[in-house]
Amino acid sequence: MMRGRRWVAPVRIPARTPREHRAWAALRALGLGVLVGVMVIAVLGPLWPGSATAQAGLPYTAPGTDGVGLLGTDGIGRDVALRVLHGGARLVLVAAGATVFGIVAAILLGVVPALLFPRASGAVMRVVDAFGVMPGLLVLLLLAAAFPGDDLMLMVGVAVVSVPYSARVLRAAAREIAGAGYVEVARARGDRWWTVLLHDILPNLARPVAAETGLRFTTALHLSATAGFLGLGRGAPWPDWGLMVQENLPGIALNPWAVVVPSLLLVLLIVGVTVVADQVATRLGRERS
Amino acid sequence: MTPDVLSGRVRWVLGRLLLAAATLLLLSAVIFTVTDVLPGDAAARLAGPDAAPADVARLRADLGLDRSATQRYLEWLGGAVRGDLGVSAISGRPVAEVVAERLPNSVVLAGVALVLAAPLGVAAGLAAGMRSGRPTDRAVTGTSVVVAAIPEFVMTVLLVVVLSTLLGWFPQVTTAPLGGRPWDAPAAMVLPVLSLVPLGFALTARMMRSTAAGIASSRYVEAARLRGVTGRALAVRHVLPNAVQPAIQVIAVLFGGLIGGSVVVELVFNYPGIGLELQQAVGRQDLVMVQGIALVLAGLALVSLVVGDLVAGLVDPRERG
Repeated sequence: MMRGRRWVAPVRIPARTPREHRAWAALRALGLGVLVGVMVIAVLGPLWPGSATAQAGLPYTAPGTDGVGLLGTDGIGRDVALRVLHGGARLVLVAAGATVFGIVAAILLGVVPALLFPRASGAVMRVVDAFGVMPGLLVLLLLAAAFPGDDLMLMVGVAVVSVPYSARVLRAAAREIAGAGYVEVARARGDRWWTVLLHDILPNLARPVAAETGLRFTTALHLSATAGFLGLGRGAPWPDWGLMVQENLPGIALNPWAVVVPSLLLVLLIVGVTVVADQVATRLGRERS
Repeated sequence: MTPDVLSGRVRWVLGRLLLAAATLLLLSAVIFTVTDVLPGDAAARLAGPDAAPADVARLRADLGLDRSATQRYLEWLGGAVRGDLGVSAISGRPVAEVVAERLPNSVVLAGVALVLAAPLGVAAGLAAGMRSGRPTDRAVTGTSVVVAAIPEFVMTVLLVVVLSTLLGWFPQVTTAPLGGRPWDAPAAMVLPVLSLVPLGFALTARMMRSTAAGIASSRYVEAARLRGVTGRALAVRHVLPNAVQPAIQVIAVLFGGLIGGSVVVELVFNYPGIGLELQQAVGRQDLVMVQGIALVLAGLALVSLVVGDLVAGLVDPRERG
């Protein structure tokens, strides 16, 4: 029964026993639960009453001392627990806003020219690509120099960094769809261009756009957290998980919690979102890069 | 080699260089617009809110701000070509002098980190790609995804806390001897370099994994398997040579990114590199310094991109498409 081709070294993918399967499912549920928990802290935390910038005690007091919050105080005596609650929302909002900005811009610069002006779209991509040359942090620092302390410009910066990647990926997807047989058929039977766009092209573009949005959200979170650490955007004295890590590093021996808790929350948030977005993207038919 | 092939190759190289030059020109215009045109009147900002209008006018004339933006851009660009990036209005130092002092420190930092990280990443990616879907692959892929996802500053802080604060093995702050270079005190270089290694490793491993997996499932590797070549010989003789060129491309791009991306590490260790200088210039609102450093860093990133491209295209004609 040799059919000409192939004997490949047997790929041994060990089959999972039902027990292993259940263990993996439990682990996945646990991970998802942690991620949702961190998201809730980040987004709803600022609703907790109290001022995150007011002094609450002596500098760098470890938890357990009288009259000091759950996680002690930071370098100028502010309540760390309260600052943790108030310090995650900005990060998530900046990243989410930048993702939306970035995807819309990528559609305008990548997809629209590819569909409407296929000849000119290559030239547009060359210009967009030029921006991709700059390292992400360089873009953020440049904008911060021109517009200090501006969260909106930070958001724009994070979006600008993501556009070259997204535009390239979405343009490729749009070109593939526009050249597909069903589009040709629709054109040949005389459908109007906007009918083709609405019925044939856009519905098929939804999956790549969704996959790209998830992946860009992870990089946007990563970049916004780093920007916070560097004090870009709104900056001190406002609470921000990344900034807290930088501010409280000198007092790490006195109150380690002021560094450990924001770091841990950041890692859980970003790694969690990355893993979820990666899996969703793979399921939506996107290849790993 | 027929003249035809040669001319095709030469034309391709020239085209690449021309495109790179156009890209740099565009980026210089963007950098100038963001740092010079958008922020508004630099003279009023420097003079402060209480300055007399006459003083502001004199300062404006001194800084050459009474001329049009286009004129100033062309002058700046002309100076940059000759190696003159202007003089910082705040510290009074020529930008080119600061760059010449700080840039080598950053290049050495990124270079050493890459020399350590790239071979490890290539080896791990190769091992994973050869065993697609098996435990080795899952371990390497999982590690590199997680490591690349963790922000550099968290990784850096973790290293500082464990190796410096708790164990006290290495100094937490880089102290370059006055007028010397950071590597004159090698112990202080260890932590900054180690902080950049995980990211370099993760990115190289990920790229190498997908390249190697593609090659490992190709017909010629299958043929080698049928001849009885297995294990390390298969990986080193048949897969690696075909993966070298994409790896070089990735590493070249990574180098440019690492120099720009070492801002965080330089801040944490107070390492006297170009990234720290840029960050401080942003804090001081020293826009002349910012635009000069940004131009140099963007140029450097572009050069590493083009070098990777040229190497890939000259080694493998398929890349020249």
